[in-house]
Amino acid sequence: MKKYKIKVDGRVYEVEVEEISENKVSISSGKFTTSPPVVAKTAEEVAKPEPPRSAKSPVPAKEPAAAVTGEEVVAPMPGKILQLRVSEGNTVKEGDTLLILEAMKMENEIVAGASGQVKKINVAVNDMVDTNDVLLVIG
Amino acid sequence: MEFSIDDLMKTLREKEEKVKAGGGEKRVKDQHEKGKLTARERVALLLDKDSFVELDLFVEHRCTNFGMDKVEAPGEGVVTGYGTIDGRLVYVFAQDFTVMGGSLGEMHAKKICKVMDMAMTMGAPCIGINDSGGARIQEGVDSLSGYGQIFYRNTIASGVIPQISVIVGPAAGGAVYSPAIMDFVFMVKNIGIMHITGPEVIKAVTGEVVTPEQLGGAMTHNRKSGVAHFAAENEEEVYQLVRKLLSYLPSNNMENPPLVECKDDPNRKEEALLQIVPVDPNKPYDMKDIIRYLVDEGDFFEVHQYFAPNIIVGFARLNGQSLGIIANQPKILAGCLDIDASDKAARFIRFCDAFNIPILTLVDVPGFLPGTAQEYGGIIRHGAKLLYAYSEATVPKVTLIVRKSYGGAYLAMCSRDLRADQVIAWPTAEIAVMGPEGAANIIFRKEIAQAEDPEKVRQEKIEEFKQKFSNPYEAAKRGYVDMVIDPRESRPCLITTLEMLSTKRESRPAKKHGNFPV
Repeated sequence: MKKYKIKVDGRVYEVEVEEISENKVSISSGKFTTSPPVVAKTAEEVAKPEPPRSAKSPVPAKEPAAAVTGEEVVAPMPGKILQLRVSEGNTVKEGDTLLILEAMKMENEIVAGASGQVKKINVAVNDMVDTNDVLLVIG
Repeated sequence: MEFSIDDLMKTLREKEEKVKAGGGEKRVKDQHEKGKLTARERVALLLDKDSFVELDLFVEHRCTNFGMDKVEAPGEGVVTGYGTIDGRLVYVFAQDFTVMGGSLGEMHAKKICKVMDMAMTMGAPCIGINDSGGARIQEGVDSLSGYGQIFYRNTIASGVIPQISVIVGPAAGGAVYSPAIMDFVFMVKNIGIMHITGPEVIKAVTGEVVTPEQLGGAMTHNRKSGVAHFAAENEEEVYQLVRKLLSYLPSNNMENPPLVECKDDPNRKEEALLQIVPVDPNKPYDMKDIIRYLVDEGDFFEVHQYFAPNIIVGFARLNGQSLGIIANQPKILAGCLDIDASDKAARFIRFCDAFNIPILTLVDVPGFLPGTAQEYGGIIRHGAKLLYAYSEATVPKVTLIVRKSYGGAYLAMCSRDLRADQVIAWPTAEIAVMGPEGAANIIFRKEIAQAEDPEKVRQEKIEEFKQKFSNPYEAAKRGYVDMVIDPRESRPCLITTLEMLSTKRESRPAKKHGNFPV
């Protein structure tokens, strides 16, 4: 993991870069220091100079760009994570309850949309999440 | 020279056989290999045995463009006629993919229009079975006109006779709009495809790569777009579903739905109904459990099962009488109303009202779903559909509040003020302008802020508000709730209520039509 400071249009961005193969680079997280965050998602975006347009309208970090692929389980509405019923590596079946999201005064069961293994959990108990935030990934 | 009757009969049989062979052996084989049935096999599965009477067997196209004068299209690529389902008259058309890909030309459309016109005149449901490559391009604007003629009739027939569309092949481009205007769309997985522009066009224009099934397959339209109301695994299943749906419906808007002999005790009391709804209002449960305990033989025929599952709609019977049920589903999205749920329920309510099917509304709703996506998406105008549809409906309207009923959503779920005929509540009902937490924070803001221990005071005030308003009695005091009942007695109570309402007549000022907030 290497950290870089990148200056675009006078704004400074702190970017962490992780090398995962000889010719592929993926950004695992991005933090801003002086302005709203810009997260470059792919190797191409890093290789190319950041176009000024996207620097002016930054994209908020919605999903981690770590190279985890699979069925993403997203928050259907804004709320608080009340309980995690699975941990990374667990095998789940379609329809299994993965976690409890407290929203609209209801303990909503968030269920698996597909069977598979829990590859990554992006949230912890008591985290606040917004609609469409990726809660976990099933692969 | 004179023909003998035998010769004439021979000619007739030959002509009939030729048309009934459709596109010929090879194309029929291709059709079967794709896992699809032929048009006549489909009609036979849909209708009562041997009841089908085919019309317009000998219709031919009259196109001469691009060598079409030499092309024969037996039956014009569509099988039309009438028959019965459970002994009741229905009209049907089934596109025949083996004949020029089921493409729609002038005469193909005329055959369809003829049965649609007859269905309207006779007051019987019309069922379309779609399997067509699209417009017959050689016929140019005549083919387009054919679609237009069908769309117009779909619209005029809407609310007069039930119209049902079964998608068992492609329905692309303009062809999708006839099903869309009809009342219910059934799709069969892996063979039914609906889209306006196909994967090739999308790839060329936007660069997106998508398979036909992803783009317009049965589950896409059942789950995502809401275009389709039912998904079936195969064709055998789909025609059984259509038959079952029709069993709940009258043949036309002047009739009442068929009364079925009820084998279930109308006075059945259910202990289980005391236990289903958790006392803790923050705990979810499955509203469908309640529905199954209430209705005859636990038989609930759900419509739009996969789309906007935070609201449930479907048909069932109470003491043999058809009714449409609209219910919040606390298990999904906390049972909130949102854009899709409002759309789904409003269209269902309007169908029930058009066809004299009483409406039962089961309420457990915390409110409208908050968020920018909803506001930007127009929840105001979509939510308005729900209010409008309930207000407009003149069929018997019974509302049963089982738990939460808050604010605008309380009104929207067929409240007394939208002219529910009877509003019944369980003792677990909470009817208030908003939830206790929110209300206490607003009403007692100053007291909480000025208190030595604000959190303690806040909790006290929440408790105070809960005691006073989280119940059905405040609403009952004003007559907004007619009855608070023992949940176990819900079934007999609803049956008595619906019987009492069976002679309901409600008139409205004469108008051309209202301006529904579409």
